[in-house]
Amino acid sequence: MIRLATLGAIVLTGGAFVAFSAETGPIPADQLAKAARSDSISIPTPGELFAALEKSGKINWAGQYRGPMPMTYRDRPQIALNLGGLIADGFIAVQAKDGQQVKNIGADIIKLAKALGVSEKLLGRGSSINDFADNNEWDTLQEELEATQNEVKSSMQSHADQDLVILVTLGGWIRGTQVVTSSIMQNYDESSAKVLRQPALVHFMQSKINEVSPELRNDPLVKDLSNELGKTEKLVSFPAGKAPTVEEVRKVNEAVSKMMGEIESKEAPK
Amino acid sequence: MNRSLLIPLSALVLVISVTVRGDTDAEVQARKDALDVAAAFSNDGFKIRDGHWCGIVKPHDHSLVAVNLYAGNEYWFSASGVAPAKKIAVSVYDETGKQVTTESYDNGEKAAAGFAPPSSGQYFVSIDLVEGEQSSFCLVYSYK
Repeated sequence: MIRLATLGAIVLTGGAFVAFSAETGPIPADQLAKAARSDSISIPTPGELFAALEKSGKINWAGQYRGPMPMTYRDRPQIALNLGGLIADGFIAVQAKDGQQVKNIGADIIKLAKALGVSEKLLGRGSSINDFADNNEWDTLQEELEATQNEVKSSMQSHADQDLVILVTLGGWIRGTQVVTSSIMQNYDESSAKVLRQPALVHFMQSKINEVSPELRNDPLVKDLSNELGKTEKLVSFPAGKAPTVEEVRKVNEAVSKMMGEIESKEAPK
Repeated sequence: MNRSLLIPLSALVLVISVTVRGDTDAEVQARKDALDVAAAFSNDGFKIRDGHWCGIVKPHDHSLVAVNLYAGNEYWFSASGVAPAKKIAVSVYDETGKQVTTESYDNGEKAAAGFAPPSSGQYFVSIDLVEGEQSSFCLVYSYK
């Protein structure tokens, strides 16, 4: 539970901390169904996922690095998906407190963003990332990565590329989940495995993909990923409070690794 | 850079970024005030997520947004309304619609709810108008 004693020291003038909120009645399902949902607040960042995982103990973040990726994808949906994955890699490097790796990934993010034509403002972000990495400003680097991701998405929206925004988000979630499941499999414990229960999140991302233009929806890679997301939703639908077994974690890892393989592949999906 | 400067600086960057997204002046002000509340929790290690949700809070109505949270993390949801709203409340509900127990901060048109989810998954944050008239509000959240 959040420690009120510590928070009581916070400088919030004039307000009052209350130990527990006042109880109200339940909200009916039809009202819940109408709740707002948006990319910017309903979908957690990779940093949130990694923060939860790290609660269970020291994680070998550097062991989760992957090799250099091609910067020459021609297909815009594939570039967007890889950009999301690359941003998740940036969060991994921040968790590892590896300044050089953060700088390398920052440079790659700018290259991929350039390929999508959204790099003008991002050039400044690349410089900031380098400065913060040189000064070991890890918390600020994480904020900078989040801001970079949002700036990419904002730029896409203003360039009528809004359909690609969900692909950046999806690429980040797939890569983040691949890393988390891999880490849990290496050192299983129930509390860390509980982070994998996210059926509503997967369902939301799939519903967003169903809203994109028919042309993009029928892109072979996007179509494949949408199908795989449907299967993945079932794999992450554990009962509330129950931790998945190591075998269940392995199944999620296999599913997201398959999707990641398709995202990285230079060959057209079959 | 001095860490004490980073929190207000990052809050400023977040405020500036909102202006390019076409929010109304009232929403920009509400977001700035919500970030002020959230920035205080940063002193306790909470990171402000670079995202927000603005809307209209009305009498006798829940303004609801879905969030996906991870067991193991702690969260603070910070919101602010603007005049003519005088008092708002932030509360959290689980995926079945049952209200969960939160710790709360109340200060008129600013409020926050703190919560450590026992189970990962979808939750709903509700912004309610307690006193005053319909107005714009903005919600941000932080985690650690």
